Amino acid sequence: MMPMLSQTQSLCPECLSRIPAYYIKEGDAVFLVKHCDSHGKFQTVLWRGKPDFETWVRPKIPTSPSLCYAEMSQGCPFDCGLCPEHRQHTCTALLEITMRCNLNCPVCFASAGSVVPPDPDLKLIRTWYERVMNACGFCNIQLSGGEPTVRDDLPMIIEIGREIGFSFIQLNTNGIRLATEKDYARRLKEAGLSSVFLQFDGTNDDIYIPLRGKPLFEVKQAAIEHCTENDIGVVLVPTLMPKVNLHNIGDILRFGLKFAPTVRGVHFQPVSYFGRYPNPPLNKDRITLPEIMTALEQQTHGMVRTENFRPPGCENARCSFHGNFILMPDGNLKALTQLTQTACRCDESSRISQHIEKAEEGAIQAISTVARQWAFPTISEKQCCEKTDDLDAFLTRARQYGFAVSAMAFQDAWNLDTERLRDCCIHVVSPEGKLIPFCIYNLTSAGGKSLYRLKF
Amino acid sequence: MSQYYEASLLEEWNCAKCGAALKPAKVDIAYMGSQFTIELPKCEICGLVLIPESLARGKMAEVEKILEDK
Repeated sequence: MMPMLSQTQSLCPECLSRIPAYYIKEGDAVFLVKHCDSHGKFQTVLWRGKPDFETWVRPKIPTSPSLCYAEMSQGCPFDCGLCPEHRQHTCTALLEITMRCNLNCPVCFASAGSVVPPDPDLKLIRTWYERVMNACGFCNIQLSGGEPTVRDDLPMIIEIGREIGFSFIQLNTNGIRLATEKDYARRLKEAGLSSVFLQFDGTNDDIYIPLRGKPLFEVKQAAIEHCTENDIGVVLVPTLMPKVNLHNIGDILRFGLKFAPTVRGVHFQPVSYFGRYPNPPLNKDRITLPEIMTALEQQTHGMVRTENFRPPGCENARCSFHGNFILMPDGNLKALTQLTQTACRCDESSRISQHIEKAEEGAIQAISTVARQWAFPTISEKQCCEKTDDLDAFLTRARQYGFAVSAMAFQDAWNLDTERLRDCCIHVVSPEGKLIPFCIYNLTSAGGKSLYRLKF
Repeated sequence: MSQYYEASLLEEWNCAKCGAALKPAKVDIAYMGSQFTIELPKCEICGLVLIPESLARGKMAEVEKILEDK
């Protein structure tokens, strides 16, 4: 009998009924196992390898949303809006400003397709911003889609967000328009864009063709160059898929470093399965967070190491890892994050509870860290010292050449854990202005049925 | 090496523990696995170091933010 580690709630991937689920361990792998009376047993891998699943924890004292746009009625995950049982504030609010797209990717969170609803008008988008501000305050904003750059009024949408008071606005894009349209990056910068979240799956077209249906590597490079010319920070966002680009993880990181400080970091997203899947995705078609950490260590020959990564202070520990580094003049990375470290706590009360942080403080910290690290460096000095043992030299180098390496594992119908869901801090604004945790907004049954996303 | 305090502090302050004068000295400070060497006023006798408020609230606080992760 396999040891059961813990119990939670999940959904049946076929009928989306809520069912109990269990974490079990087999060797160094951890699976989420669940059984639906109508549709049988499902066993999905969550974790493979080191660091151990059991050690990857960061307990937090939960915090409720200060303003809920939904009431509790059927229980998690059927009342999202957020409901009063949610346990974390919004760190990033995601606005889907169009469902149109200029690509037709086999892998797409947003299910952008040929039949799409009309774009929300500027008045509605303003209302969304206002509802985010009322519920969440000054969180970070990500403009997403579809492909947001297909809208000609994107600069205006950025301006509205800035006018309402959001200081960090990021664009989630495939980079095609940034690469191909003269002066486009400048117009976005002038409108107040802080950062580009650039879909970047690898360093050659053998990767782009199966994932995106087109050779796009040159496009990505041109997009980055245009961001450099206009002081826009770029985060490379690879979707990692077995048999497609796992071998390229080290090269992606090295590519990012070559374009620092424009490229502020790499944020890996292991593939998750949204859409129609008549046959459940196999466990060999998934990659887990520890496997990404291990691949990073192996493929960079130890330049980054597994112990340089920590669980998040904002979302649930099992959702992500991150490490902060400084790119040194010799091309190596100096790690700032260590798995075991804990910040100094100076008063007695916080010393007692130093291993249980407040979720609310984690969200505040994440908002400011992301805004600082993922935007273009504001430092004017172009010369960075080689040594970092002096405070000024360290600050100069860190402000300009800080580099973040992170990954976030999204949940789909097969691996959904409502405990993780309730800790979510990345919330999509639905058309009616509710805040829905990203994973449950995008989650679909094996037959393609969605709980929250409207179908057209 | 950068200057992290006003020279007048050396005249204005004495050591609270032993009353001795403060002299410029290289001091090692460490936080979350990173170590820095900077010059600060230090008691000649007991080694007590004066960290000016402007440094504690300014550059030191900024370094802490960078080292503390999200």
